[in-house]
Amino acid sequence: MNIQECYAEMGADYSDVLARMMKEERVKKFALRFLDDPSFELLKTSLEAKNYDEAFRAAHTIKGVSQNLSFTALYKSSHDLCEALRGGKALEDVSLYDNVVRDYEMTVAALKKVDE
Amino acid sequence: MSEKHKILIVDDNEANRELLIDMLEDDFDVYQCADGKEAIAVISNQGSSFSLVLLDIFMPEVDGFQVLKVMNKLRIIEDLPVIMISSESSPESMEHAYRLGATDYIPRPFNMMIVRRRVINTIMLYSKQKKLIETVEEQVEEKEKNSEMLINILSHIVEFRNGESGLHVLHVRRITEILLDCLTQKTDKYALTKSTKAMIANASALHDIGKISIPDSILNKPGRLTDEEYAIMKTHSAAGGDLVNQLPIYKDEPLVRSVFEICRWHHERFDGRGYPDGLKGDEIPISAQVVAVADVYDALTSERCYKKAFTHEKAVEMILNNECGVFNPMLMECLVDSAEMIKSELSKDMIEELSKSESRLIAQEILENKNISRSDLLSQSLKYEREKNEFYNVYGSDLIFEYITKTDMLIFSDKSAELLGVEKTIMSPASNTKLLDAMGIETHKKLEDEIYKTTAEATDGQCDLQSGNKFWRIIFRTLWSDDSLTGTVGIIRLIDSEIAEV
Repeated sequence: MNIQECYAEMGADYSDVLARMMKEERVKKFALRFLDDPSFELLKTSLEAKNYDEAFRAAHTIKGVSQNLSFTALYKSSHDLCEALRGGKALEDVSLYDNVVRDYEMTVAALKKVDE
Repeated sequence: MSEKHKILIVDDNEANRELLIDMLEDDFDVYQCADGKEAIAVISNQGSSFSLVLLDIFMPEVDGFQVLKVMNKLRIIEDLPVIMISSESSPESMEHAYRLGATDYIPRPFNMMIVRRRVINTIMLYSKQKKLIETVEEQVEEKEKNSEMLINILSHIVEFRNGESGLHVLHVRRITEILLDCLTQKTDKYALTKSTKAMIANASALHDIGKISIPDSILNKPGRLTDEEYAIMKTHSAAGGDLVNQLPIYKDEPLVRSVFEICRWHHERFDGRGYPDGLKGDEIPISAQVVAVADVYDALTSERCYKKAFTHEKAVEMILNNECGVFNPMLMECLVDSAEMIKSELSKDMIEELSKSESRLIAQEILENKNISRSDLLSQSLKYEREKNEFYNVYGSDLIFEYITKTDMLIFSDKSAELLGVEKTIMSPASNTKLLDAMGIETHKKLEDEIYKTTAEATDGQCDLQSGNKFWRIIFRTLWSDDSLTGTVGIIRLIDSEIAEV
């Protein structure tokens, strides 16, 4: 699968990211770098440890990166989670986190199908 | 950009940093920091080597706002532009960053081309500003140096006659500077700006010019003066003031006013027991008060034909004990506070001292006040206005017109526009059909020829024109700057009345 097909599979906006990053290789390179991004792990452990400040920063980073890469679904769910955690607030609506997990897994699954 | 500018990228997310590096590394020398702490360390140690910082907001421990705060504290923010990049797009965060001095704020997701452009523009803007500050600095320095030189020559003449080395002037000047700096830290009562302080220091060199009116026999008498001789000697301060006041020009210049105050009143004392006017307290201008302390200190610590030099410590003690008259208590505090500095400064070789930083500060003050008053541009336009007005004074200012070469613009007065039936302001008059119709193409050509005939030396000319059955005469003057034609002013007259006048 090429990177454009991958974006189609995860329902993300390929034309938008290409317009901003200008080169297909660059999009591919940084999209695949997302597989190594530690932010999701950090979000998970911080929430488990009830460290909501750290969780906010992790969610914020996921939001920023997915926004940069036009991972539309993940951007939306991480944005919602981020707002719920802003200011170190405890997470009340756990479904917000579940949405991020769902979109993260979907995004990662699609990325893993891309040919190196 | 010939040499690559250095950029610092601060972001805790590696992918974010790499993306920025990827798009900037071709044009810039890119460095990175993974958190705010590291960024503060790098910026405070080598901030001046960077041309720009790209700064994330949310980072563990030290965030982007805190980095900006430190940059404010260190006053680095004025010289090193910061562009924030964040997915935080709330107006509050943006406002916060701008208030802390960020130059720009790029929200995610960003377009690579736009980030690159904004980075380049910001760097160019800052380097232009740096260049401008440097130019003004150089000019201020040059000017200051020249006037300082002349003042020093003049005061040296006075000292030379006095049999002194010329060091006294330099010492008084330096002590005056030190005391003034100390004084402004203590109080803003005297409204001393950096340029005022520099001016007083300059003026201090002339405090004794009145001594040229004192006969040699008294001035250079070995041994103590008699009461009568001392009375004559004491006239030097009033004489110095008179000398300055009788200057035919420059009398009202701030520097000259300051010289006057210092000359006349540097022997006044705070308790009113000085001379020549017996002024008391702050009736004595602060310039004269400060120079008085400096003068006494240097007289005490120097050897004179009638006395040996006292040590620094002894001199300060004598002044504090009012042995040389009473001074402003606040200045006495300054003397105590800066005694060590005065001692070490005066032991330096002072002749080479021309502080460059002083000029920089004054340059900044000028820029802040937008008061770059004597530029060539201004004097040129003043010259232009003056000549224009001279012309109107001679020929009247009713039916006038003015043509400005640079903008190719013709401006008529209300009446002359009405007379010709044209607009008051005409761009590119040579191709304006309404104007050419009103004047007649022939007349326009004739007028152009006449104008081309003038030179910077022979500026005036005239040309007749027929409009309907009326005859008019255009009298004009061309205005020049450095041999290039900057404009033409003229009047239009009914020829009948012209003939009647002649």
